[in-house]
Amino acid sequence: MNRDLRDRFDGAVGGDPGVPPGELAMAAIAEGSRIRRRTRIAAGVATGLVLVAGGAAGAALPWGAPDPAAPAPETIAAAMLPVSAPTCSERPVDENATDLAVFLATGATDGQRAEVEAAVHDDARVDVVVFESRDSAYERFADLWADSPDFVAALDVREFPESFRLRLVSPEQDAAVRGRLAALPGVSQIIGHTCPKSAPVGGLR
Amino acid sequence: MTDTVTPAPAFWTRTRRRAKEARDEEFTAFVEASGTRLRRSAYLMCRDWHLAQDLTQHTLAKMYAVWDRIRTNASLEAYSRRVLMNVVFDQQRRRSGSEIVLADLPDRPDAGASGAPELRVTLVDALARLEVRDRAVLVLRHAEDHSVETVATILGLSVSAVKMRNARALDRLRSVLGEDFLDH
Repeated sequence: MNRDLRDRFDGAVGGDPGVPPGELAMAAIAEGSRIRRRTRIAAGVATGLVLVAGGAAGAALPWGAPDPAAPAPETIAAAMLPVSAPTCSERPVDENATDLAVFLATGATDGQRAEVEAAVHDDARVDVVVFESRDSAYERFADLWADSPDFVAALDVREFPESFRLRLVSPEQDAAVRGRLAALPGVSQIIGHTCPKSAPVGGLR
Repeated sequence: MTDTVTPAPAFWTRTRRRAKEARDEEFTAFVEASGTRLRRSAYLMCRDWHLAQDLTQHTLAKMYAVWDRIRTNASLEAYSRRVLMNVVFDQQRRRSGSEIVLADLPDRPDAGASGAPELRVTLVDALARLEVRDRAVLVLRHAEDHSVETVATILGLSVSAVKMRNARALDRLRSVLGEDFLDH
């Protein structure tokens, strides 16, 4: 019976339009290189070439394009970028976002965190605030990279950024809120999404 | 702030380029050996060749991104199936709730190609009506001929769960396609 079934499956893919494997490889290399750049710093930790603990220095790795201007925390946060909540806009939006994720630099001090926290709580344009801890950020990342356990195992929870997840009262206030928060010391990156009310606050999974 | 030694740029540029060339060559060889099978399995999972192509490319891209760590893995084939299925599950999750429901698509979207078009459409349609993990079990077990143990490893399920899903999915196929389908 299994043999027969196998033949049926073979028949089912008989309409394969075919793609030259070389083309497939080239496309995968191009896309894979982008993923690679996004996770470069984290991967560097895995091979023991750099130590980013609390530092904000980018590091040039032997196989990656050196980009000393890219601060480490942003890169790790950027690696989590694609994880928009399922009901939100798939890509981050630069304006008129309903939800914001405000990432702190991994080296942010307690004082800086407190200042950002006070700023988001005091702001009448912010409807809801949810704080995401390092542990929770790490868990999300581990989940996202569940198919690369070695990669996840090589990362340290301390490398992950804390963030404040915000829901705005109105998307028209996005620019003003972002401008104010981005200017605070200790804030490394702000990502906006357009979400329905039912989505998790902040627009990320 | 961490100090890193800054090497002579020309040396690193050359080394980096050579490492990339070697990696790309090895990766391309893997794609040549496995790309078609991956794409066909992706098609059986989503019954759309364009989407299958995208899912396969995305799978391979994820592998390329971590190639240095996985290249010596003895079960690179199984690993690639695991990544593919995760990509498929992810895609289905994102899609569910949107307007496209696979099981509601018309019965014969593209009859007319070579081979036995009616048979082909029928099996792929029947697969589309299964729960996505059951479909994955059938594709890995019967289209790809992996052992029950390998399927269990790929999908992160227990052996008994794979057997249970396999039996359930075959029953369902039989009920959709007619008794004569699997009785030979």
